[in-house]
Formats: sequence, C-alpha cells, structure tokens
Amino acid sequence: MSNQNILEVRDLTKHFKAGGKQVVHAVDGVSFTLARGKTLGLVGESGCGKSSCARTIIRMYDVTAGQVVLDGTDITNMKQKELKPLRRKMQMIFQDPYASLNARMTVRDIIAEPLIAHGIVNKKEAANELVYPMLEWVGLTKEHANRYAHEFSGGQRQRVGIARALILKPELVICDEPISALDVSIQAQVINLLKDFQEEKGLSYLFIAHDLSMVRYVSDEVGVMYLGHLVEICESNEIYDNPLHPYTKGLLGSIPIANPRLARQKEKSGIEGDIPSPIHPPAGCRFHTRCPFAKPECSEVKPQMKDAGGGHMVACHLY
Amino acid sequence: MENKWEMLESSNEDREKLWKKNRTFAGDVWFRFRHKPTAIAGFVIIILLLLFALAGPYFTKYSYSAQNLELVNIPPRMKVYEAPDGTGYMYITQSLKVVWVNKDGTLGGQLKKVREESESSMTIFDCNGTEVALYYGTKPYMMADPETRVLYPAAHVFNKSYTLGTDSLGRDILTRLMYGTRVSLMVAFVAVLVNLVIGIIFGGISGYAGGTVDTVMMRIVDIISTIPLTLYVILIMVVLGTGLKSIIVALGTVYWVDMARVVRGQVLSLREQEFVLAAKTIGSSTKTILLQHLIPNAMGSILVTVTMLIPSAIFMEAFLGFLGIGLQPPLASLGTMCNDATENLRSCPYQLFIPALVICLIMFAFNFVGDGLRDALDPKLKK
Repeated sequence: MSNQNILEVRDLTKHFKAGGKQVVHAVDGVSFTLARGKTLGLVGESGCGKSSCARTIIRMYDVTAGQVVLDGTDITNMKQKELKPLRRKMQMIFQDPYASLNARMTVRDIIAEPLIAHGIVNKKEAANELVYPMLEWVGLTKEHANRYAHEFSGGQRQRVGIARALILKPELVICDEPISALDVSIQAQVINLLKDFQEEKGLSYLFIAHDLSMVRYVSDEVGVMYLGHLVEICESNEIYDNPLHPYTKGLLGSIPIANPRLARQKEKSGIEGDIPSPIHPPAGCRFHTRCPFAKPECSEVKPQMKDAGGGHMVACHLY
Repeated sequence: MENKWEMLESSNEDREKLWKKNRTFAGDVWFRFRHKPTAIAGFVIIILLLLFALAGPYFTKYSYSAQNLELVNIPPRMKVYEAPDGTGYMYITQSLKVVWVNKDGTLGGQLKKVREESESSMTIFDCNGTEVALYYGTKPYMMADPETRVLYPAAHVFNKSYTLGTDSLGRDILTRLMYGTRVSLMVAFVAVLVNLVIGIIFGGISGYAGGTVDTVMMRIVDIISTIPLTLYVILIMVVLGTGLKSIIVALGTVYWVDMARVVRGQVLSLREQEFVLAAKTIGSSTKTILLQHLIPNAMGSILVTVTMLIPSAIFMEAFLGFLGIGLQPPLASLGTMCNDATENLRSCPYQLFIPALVICLIMFAFNFVGDGLRDALDPKLKK
C-alpha cells in the first residue's frame, strides 16, 4: 500500500485522426483521482468519450496529451514492453461478453491466457490449479472449463470475462460498461459479484456505465462526462441529491420514476437536441448549444473545474 | 447410481457435469468432418489418389518412359478378329499393322508382313503359318483369310497387358498416369505450403501493423498480381531451366497474393474485435495475439482460399504442361499427357479422356474436402 491513490489522471487528452486533417476530440482535459479500494463511476451519453477515456488509461491507445499515473508510476509514455509488468495491476472488463471472448478457445484457455502471458505458469495444463478456484469464485464450476464461450449464456460469459480480468489479482479494474449488454436480472448478479470482490480483495474500480441507478449503487464517486469533457465530479450521493451542472440535471431527469405520483411532481428537465460532432466541438463550454441556462459568456470562455463546496467539483459558469 | 430416476443431490459437481465424453478440439473437428458425406468422399478420393500416385509405380512392370514402338495407340478395349486357326485374335492398329492378341487378352507382337499388294490395296500378313490379308481400300478395313473369306470382328476384349492402353509412343498410360498424378499432387502441396506460409505471414503483418506498412505491402501485392503468370513462368524457365523446380518456384512466388489479401482482410477486421483488445490489455505478446487469436479465427477463410488454390495450382500445372512449357518429355504430368493426346484425339479419345478424368477427380475431391473442413472448423456449428 505504497500510494493512497491507485490511479491519477491529469488533463488526459485523446484525439483521433478521422481522415484528411479532421480530428476527433474524443477526450479533452479529463482529470480525476481514484483512491485505493474505492469505485469511481463515469457516466455520460453514448459517444461522450467514456470508453475512449478508459482505453487510453489502460494504454490500448496512445495518449495525445496529459498524464496517467498508476500506483505512483507514470505510465503515460511507457513503451508496451515496459508497461507489461504493470499490466498485472490494471485489468479491464469489456462491454460485450459475446465479442470479448475468443470463440476458438475453451474457457480454461481464455482464463489461463493472462497467466501464460505473464509467465506465472508455462503450460495450459499447469494453470488448472489457479483457474478452477477462479471459476468457482465467479459462480461457475470446473466442469465449465472445457467448453467454448458460445456454449454459455450472456451472464456466464461476462463471468468468464471477469475471471480473466481478476486472475492476475489486479489492484485496479476498469469496467467498460460491463452490464449494459446483459438483461436486468443478470445485471444485479454481476454487480454483486464485483462488489463482493471489492470487499474481499480491496480492489479499485473505474466503472463506466450509462445506467445511472446502477452507477449510484456501486460508486463512491461519480464523474459526468459530456463530449470529451468532465463536467462534474463529486461524491456519489451528493451528485444524485444535489446535481449542479445543467447537463447532470438533465441526465438525472431522464431516469424514469416507477411511482407515477412522484413522476408527476418531478420537473421536466430533459435535454433537447443532439450531441454535437466531436470533430467540430463547440467553443467555450461544450454544452452551451443545448444548455437552457446558457449565457453569452458560455460560448466564448471554457469553464474551469471549481469547488462548489464540500469537494463538489463542477465546470460551469453558473457557479 | 443404480436408479437413474432418483433425484440428484443438489451439489454443484453433478449439476454442471458434462455426462457425455468431452472431446478435444481436433476430435471435435474430426467428428463434424466425418458426418459430412461429401467431405468424406473427397477425403477418400484424395487418399486413393495418393496411394495410386505413391505406391502404384511399385506394382507396375513398365516404366513411365519405356517405349514399345510395336504396340502404339492400343486402346484399353479392343475390337478383334478371330485368327484362322482359332488360337487367338488379331487387332488392326491405327497405322495398319496387325497385332496378335492372345485368348486371355494379353498382347503378343506384331504379325510379320509377307508382302504388299498396292494395286489391290492389300497387305498380306503371316499368321501362324497361314496368310491373312488386310484390305484397306475402304473403311472400315477388312480382314480376309487364305480362302478370301471376309473375317468379321469376333469380339471386344479388354487389354490385359496395358490396362489403360498405350500412347502414341507405345508407353503404358496407367504407369504414366501414376507419375502424372504424383507430379500434380506434389506441385499442389508444395505450392500451397509456400503460399500458406508466405501469405499468412505477409498478410498477417500487413493487416496487424496497418498504416503505412500496410499500404506499402499491399502495393507490392498489387504489383505482383498484375504480372501475367504465363509470361512470368516462361521467364523463370529461361533463368532456371525447364522442369518441375521452375513450375514450383513460379507458382510459389506468385500464387500467395490471394492468400495475403484474404489474411490481411480478416486480420484487419479481427484486430478491432474486443477479444483482441482484451488480449492486448492482458499483456499478451504480438506473437500470441497473431497465432492464438487472429490466425485461428481467420482459419475458415484461409481454408476456403486454400481449397480454391489447390485445384487452381493443379490446373495451372496441367495448363502449363499442355502448352508445352511445363515438364519436358519423357517425364509425365497430367497436362503433358493431355497435350500428347491431342495429336490423335479422333482415333484415340481415351488418351485425353483418362488424364482429364483424373484432373477432374482431384479438383472435385479437394473442393469437397475444403468445404467440409470449413464447416468442421467452425465451433459455432457444433452439434
């Protein structure tokens, strides 16, 4: 436990080339820290750069600008070879349990792959001692080990994906929408499985989702992203009870309420219009084109992150 | 468990136990392969052809190059005339010679010519001491015995000395067919092996690296694929000399471009799949990603390309042989045999028909096997 923060991200920026001289501003100046053993939820609508952010942190993509510090080590510009030993600390769970497992490999081989890649075991047969307990851990049995991924249901596949991510005993797990491809009953099982692991092994999660109620359940802190910018970040209950940024308000307003009486009382605050193109993001505050409270200032000056009291950080000219 | 209807205890072991025997991947592929009749038929044909080509020459008493100019263009089934003394048959060849055929169908030598009677369009032969005449003034030719009675074709007998007949130089077609099949299969296997190795490595690197590397490598492929193969083979013949080696070099250096394109396309689409990204975040080496994730998943398309490639390589070899720039005589290949047969196609169609049939058989067999393998290698079709 050398560092209190397992992950520090400072001004992380990722731009993609999109043919010709066009540039997609996928992630722009995102900063946050994740304390050891905690969960940071990252929410936002489709295309806002959540997944790009996660994939840049795990260095699947090269960083355009900014800094990623994993457990006190700056991994921003490390070569893949230097990065390899550090990958044991940081693993990822993917969104689509159908696409993230190789159809030509048995479950044992899939889960044993990280062990072989890091030289913990030399042969697939030798991995059984580690793979079988892991399978039991995620709620499968060793009888499943010889089957292929397509023989499982979606929930079981995601368990295999989780087993693969956790077999190296990482300290940080990046969950890239791990539940959005599953149906509701399975979502709860998978979430509870992840929470159990956190309690048992002191894992930290960077949890990416667009399901706000699920994020509230798992996260200690929640960050809201809009078009590559982090617009608001604070303690989980605070953001749900007292959202400050107009985008966060709109996002929370879009959660359906089961009780019709309460639903009628709720003020309508949905967000109008579509998300602008990340190739030509609006100047100033990126949300001003859709913001009901936009001022002239908003289209000119980019709002900075500031503390609106009690560690509630928000990037908006209203505060 | 005595009573199979008894309730199981709800232990995990039994609940998820696979009661059927677990098959390995190879066993699984074989299981699916052998349940496809066409695939098995193709497989059996290939095995038989291999036996025919590799073991066959040990069982024949002729060599592929030994000529017997007395017995040229003898078909597998002969129309024969009864000898006047009734001890055997006589067969009239294309070149107006008479060949002695024993009762059991084996061939003797040519009958000795006694004299030529040009003014009456007759040749007189000596048949065991009696004189027989061959009248060639009209078609069909006629045979007559010493009493000038016309002899009529007595029977059709199978050629027991040369099961598939002889060619225009009196060589045994069956023996030449064995060597020809051997050459064709060898060309096919070597060409495919070379293509597989070069194509997969080249296409794999090109697709996986992407960007400028990909562009440059694909332009090289484009350039190679524009070279006309026939011209290229002739050029190689000039440099390396004619022969099997040149054909293999020519096919090996040109045919891999299709394979490289297919592999590149597959790798390009597969490398963006989440399971490949997952392997990267795990820290797997590039080698592992290529060999364990990309290539096995591209194997279906690779096999389809290979099965298109084997028949086309065999056909290309036959085609080059047919043009006369393939193997040089007396070596036999299916193509050169076809080429030799065209000279007397009208009188001896069997000389063309037999090697052509073998070419067809090989192509069918490989296509069926490839089709079966593609289905067998796809675990999603598991039964």
